[in-house]
Amino acid sequence: MAKKIETDELTGEIVTPNIEPGATAHYKPNLAAQEHNESLGFPGSKIEGWEEKAIGRMGELLSKYRSLKVYMDTCVRCGSCADKCHYFLGTGDPNNMPVARQELMRKVYRRYFTPGGKLLPGLSGAEDMTGKMLDEWFSYFHQCSQCRRCSVYCPFGIDTAEVSMAARDIMNSVGVGQKYCNEVLGKVLDVGNNLGMEKPALANTLEFLEEDVEEESGVAVRYPLDEVGAEVLLIAPSADFFSSPHIEGFTGYGKVFHEAGVSWTVSSYASEFANFGMFVGNFETMRKVAQRIVDAARELKVKRIIVGECGHAWRVGYSFWNTLTGPFDFLDPKHRTPTHICEFTLDLIKRGVIRLDKSANDDLNVTFHDSCNVARGSRMGDKPGGQFDIPRELIRSVCNNFVEMDQDTIREFTYCCGGGGGLLTDELMELRVKGAMPRAQALHEVMERNGVNTMAMICAICKAQFTKVLPSYGIGMDVVASVHQLVSNAIILGGNRGV
Amino acid sequence: MSFELNGATYETDEDGYLLNLDQWSKEVADYLAAEEDVEMTEAHWEVINFLREYYEEYKIAPMIRILTKAIGKKLGKEKGNTKYLYELYPGGPAKQACKIAGLPKPTGCV
Amino acid sequence: MSGLSALSLVYIALCYGAAAVFITGLVVKFYGYAATPAPLKIPTTPAPTTVPGVIARLAGEALFFTSLFKGNKWTWAGGYLFHATLALALLRHLRYFLVPVPDIVAMAGPPGVWAGALMTLAVVYLYMRRMTVDRTRSISLFADYFALALIGLIGLTGLIMKFAIRTDVTAVKGFIMGIVTFHPVNIPPDILFLVHLPWRWF
Repeated sequence: MAKKIETDELTGEIVTPNIEPGATAHYKPNLAAQEHNESLGFPGSKIEGWEEKAIGRMGELLSKYRSLKVYMDTCVRCGSCADKCHYFLGTGDPNNMPVARQELMRKVYRRYFTPGGKLLPGLSGAEDMTGKMLDEWFSYFHQCSQCRRCSVYCPFGIDTAEVSMAARDIMNSVGVGQKYCNEVLGKVLDVGNNLGMEKPALANTLEFLEEDVEEESGVAVRYPLDEVGAEVLLIAPSADFFSSPHIEGFTGYGKVFHEAGVSWTVSSYASEFANFGMFVGNFETMRKVAQRIVDAARELKVKRIIVGECGHAWRVGYSFWNTLTGPFDFLDPKHRTPTHICEFTLDLIKRGVIRLDKSANDDLNVTFHDSCNVARGSRMGDKPGGQFDIPRELIRSVCNNFVEMDQDTIREFTYCCGGGGGLLTDELMELRVKGAMPRAQALHEVMERNGVNTMAMICAICKAQFTKVLPSYGIGMDVVASVHQLVSNAIILGGNRGV
Repeated sequence: MSFELNGATYETDEDGYLLNLDQWSKEVADYLAAEEDVEMTEAHWEVINFLREYYEEYKIAPMIRILTKAIGKKLGKEKGNTKYLYELYPGGPAKQACKIAGLPKPTGCV
Repeated sequence: MSGLSALSLVYIALCYGAAAVFITGLVVKFYGYAATPAPLKIPTTPAPTTVPGVIARLAGEALFFTSLFKGNKWTWAGGYLFHATLALALLRHLRYFLVPVPDIVAMAGPPGVWAGALMTLAVVYLYMRRMTVDRTRSISLFADYFALALIGLIGLTGLIMKFAIRTDVTAVKGFIMGIVTFHPVNIPPDILFLVHLPWRWF
């Protein structure tokens, strides 16, 4: 309960620890209650004969996903990934080495799906699916934030994220779910967003924002809800309606639309961009969450969908939406679906549609944290690497002071914030603090050397995570900023020239 | 999980949030605050009262800026900010204050 | 098939058996992968957006182990040396399987010998690394050490046959050509060769 978690003093260097077996075996998320599991169509609690059912589900997944099949077969345990995971670097627990995490599933795979493991389990490193194994799965597959950093360094491109998604799906299929993800998924499918914020509250929040911005700037910027016929449907992570610095970013989106003269709306039916269906590795759940957005877009008769600052959701949107709920031929084909708000804003700035006063951010010395699923699971714009260049170009166009962190910690080598992948829950706080160590070190270095006082980012989870864990490292939560918060600071309202 | 107070039993979730919101009372709030090492002052109560009022109407805790603005109006403009709220509730206004106010824990990326 | 010794029969059976297992295994695996759907786009980005780009990325991985290079320079160095020298040594070994011996294989003769020596050293290095780094030690299976030990032994016996106790190369080639042409003949009863040969069985 808000107890301070012990951390070593920051040095700016990320040091690989010695291994410490079992160091984090006791970190476990809360079990999902019956109602959470059943709302998603999973058994309410651990079923009779779960072992056999789990192996059956594993077989199904192996026949549905080529990636999983290849990943189970190809690892040679070279160890290239071993020191690349932020949770291993932060905890030293050898099961947090990506290869060892995968092995938890591979041991079982060998036992039931390979001739060697069936005949000579001892020699093949094959193990039975037992209660003890399930325990380890529940613990360590919930110590993976599915950030894919390990996959960058794997000579075979094995992605541990895919393995933990499969493991979580298998656990859900036998009634062993994680509370945080399943509760949130229940809410999004019921109410429309992860918060469980119903329409009156959403309307109140947006009205408040209109008053607040007008009070501050004298300009009546609109934050519309459920407006049929708007050109743009804006899908933001619901944290943008609730927390700081998320809301400051959301405020910025509204100002950009205002200055562009583009009509837009939020939907109360699909008021969530986040899609935890990916975290639990369940295709059908992920599809259902994504489907709400398509339904809302049709209902509101919009021409295009623009999405807010959310990391894994951008991956789902950019890489999976077309498979899940496409094609989007009912939208204006001139625009990419989905369009990221950063692409949208940068384009307006480049075309001189919106006017800026960069000096409004002169008190800030900014660095950019690449969010893992944007960096390694998506793209932005037309060119490879656009997911790195577009947010940076946007920041540089609204700020005079920008500094990069160590190159091994940015772009495709970025470290996860430590709270991704469905781990942003209080009972895992110790893990979250330790997992943030690499990013905290890199941030500390530029704070000391370059006087950086602001770390901007485009992910709701990153923002929530850093505001909670950086104080454990002696860094104030006010360094955390939304990219569109910087836009919001610099934009000159009232210069509306239209697109 | 549960706790006993003045002979009554209060069911909570794993993180100590009241499951039955109707069971909340000032005494329960004092108890929960003590558990959190928070010493309740007038200012603390202003936050709790506003949270409860808002929840009553909207079934959710208010967005952080709505809360800070309301507190600023009641306690003075210089106190209408996040920093002040964290001084009152180091565990965070959304989570720690909600718990003491007997509201359910906010979920999602918060 | 008459006149074959019992030892030869065992080795001949193992040669064909190993080849059959190897080929069947490859075909089954490849077919299995090809037949399994890949519903979601999951390449790790930044990924190339064009076909030549994809080919270049794959070729870089296959020929130069680019990701491993990013991950661990020492493992890359040992692993690359091992694979490159193994390829060269195997190329040299084609001389025992082909009549007439193509020029490229003949040219690989002298460097192939040295490659064999370097390969054996690389295997020793990789084995030591696996054992001494606490991270890799904790993840290594019996099979990982076994494969390295086996290749090391093959390298070592090969080198002994080349540099110390020379084997009857003509008889060896005769035996192998017998296998390749499906007219097996007796195996030369050289203990070093008998140890050197079995690599394919695994």
